[in-house]
Amino acid sequence: LSHVMATTFFRSIFRVLPLLLLLSPVNSSSCAMGNRTTQIREKYENILSHDIDELVNMSAEYRDRCCKNKKHENSKVFFCNDTQEIESLQSMACNMLRFFHKQKISKDYRWKAALVSCGTLQVLQCKCERHKKDKVCMQVNTHNKDTEKSEQSKKKCNQEFCELKENISSLRSCWNKFEKIIFR
Amino acid sequence: SEECVLFNEEYMTCMWGSRETLTANYSLYYWYENRSPVEECKHYLQDQGVSIGCYFNRSEIIQFQPFRVLINASLGSRTLKILSKPMELQDLVKPEAPVNLTIRNMSSNQLQLTWTSPYPKAQCLEHAVKYKSNKDTNWTHQVKGDIFSLPSVDYEKYYTFYVRSKINSYCGSTQLWSEWSVPVVWGSNSTSKGTAEEQLHWFWIHTVLIPIASCLLLLVLVVLLVRMERVWVILMPRIPNPSKNFDELFITHNGNFQEWAGVPKDVVESFRPNYSENICYVSELPPKDSCEPLWESGNHPPSVMPGAPAAPREHSPYKNSYVGV
Repeated sequence: LSHVMATTFFRSIFRVLPLLLLLSPVNSSSCAMGNRTTQIREKYENILSHDIDELVNMSAEYRDRCCKNKKHENSKVFFCNDTQEIESLQSMACNMLRFFHKQKISKDYRWKAALVSCGTLQVLQCKCERHKKDKVCMQVNTHNKDTEKSEQSKKKCNQEFCELKENISSLRSCWNKFEKIIFR
Repeated sequence: SEECVLFNEEYMTCMWGSRETLTANYSLYYWYENRSPVEECKHYLQDQGVSIGCYFNRSEIIQFQPFRVLINASLGSRTLKILSKPMELQDLVKPEAPVNLTIRNMSSNQLQLTWTSPYPKAQCLEHAVKYKSNKDTNWTHQVKGDIFSLPSVDYEKYYTFYVRSKINSYCGSTQLWSEWSVPVVWGSNSTSKGTAEEQLHWFWIHTVLIPIASCLLLLVLVVLLVRMERVWVILMPRIPNPSKNFDELFITHNGNFQEWAGVPKDVVESFRPNYSENICYVSELPPKDSCEPLWESGNHPPSVMPGAPAAPREHSPYKNSYVGV
């Protein structure tokens, strides 16, 4: 009897365990825990903010006439939610990484955007849910793009460029909000 | 087009014109995209009965949310709608000017300037300092953090400092500097007084003494010039007047040029149209021994011109010509 009871006990646990996994919150934070606001602030002010400024300046150099008055379907990633700035930044940075392979966008621009995304994730100590996006960061951090021949001509305006540009603008605003509200 | 500014994050104004340029009735509607419903401005700013802007208090302002306004301009039956681009209000903040500017003497001729800002979030500000001494003509500008140091100062000069602030790139993206602060000066009392006296001294020299001296000098030069005829003649030479040479012509001879010029009478007459000249025959007297028998043959008086009288008649160009004088 005790043997049967033990088996039943363990079987029930094994049934529950998958249920527990299923019921666990889908959007659990994949960021490091702990209050690291001082370190985040230092890295943002001293390093990341300059890369973001450069990326925003690069955005202004490209033709964007086709970007006016266009609404994007995937608009949820563009919000920097109140009290959820870190999660919003993580979401925006991970979303930006998908532009890294878009051939229609200028390579310099894509590379810089990926650098900023990976920098954001690194400063916040967050990871993306899809691990292949992290591979992009390994590539960006180790590979020296300067050795490659940079593009001579700038690409035509296209919707992917517009989406990336808006994503960059939202990321910058979300960092501004983080600095302004979190750091007192 | 509208211009919205958040003043020190306490209130915001969106202005669309001035009394001089506006003639229609204006109304403003605003909303935050994907967040709030459209609302009308609750507090219009007016100038002589015309709405020129809208005032938003702190509770109506939400940063980090795309903000849009729609301005309705109606004139008679026509209405014009002007929709703004989405605005990020954190990029439109204009902080208040810094206050409590304080100068401290540090060691080795160094000055340190500090200030405080009415803007609540000090980590979001960058500052600019401008200063000059009483001997400089231009301002020196520097963008600084929270403290400004002037490494070496001259104790015989006095310095004036101004500070202003702006939201830095960590917290926003703006070009809106605050107004310059109330200035602070540094320098010993005596030098500043001395400078004031010196300035008054220079003022009297420039505005009174120099003009009077210049006028006197000018007067002396003019008097000398008039008195010294040699100089006067060189500067103001006599203009020659040839009319006196012609007094005789016009007065004595009554405009008769030929008379005045002394042209001989017969030359004058020869130019007359009905002039007829007497032909004067000239012949050579023959020698005595060869021409005697001719005279004895007839009662012809010995003529001075015993040549062929018929010939002149034939060849005379004049019909009424006659032989003889």
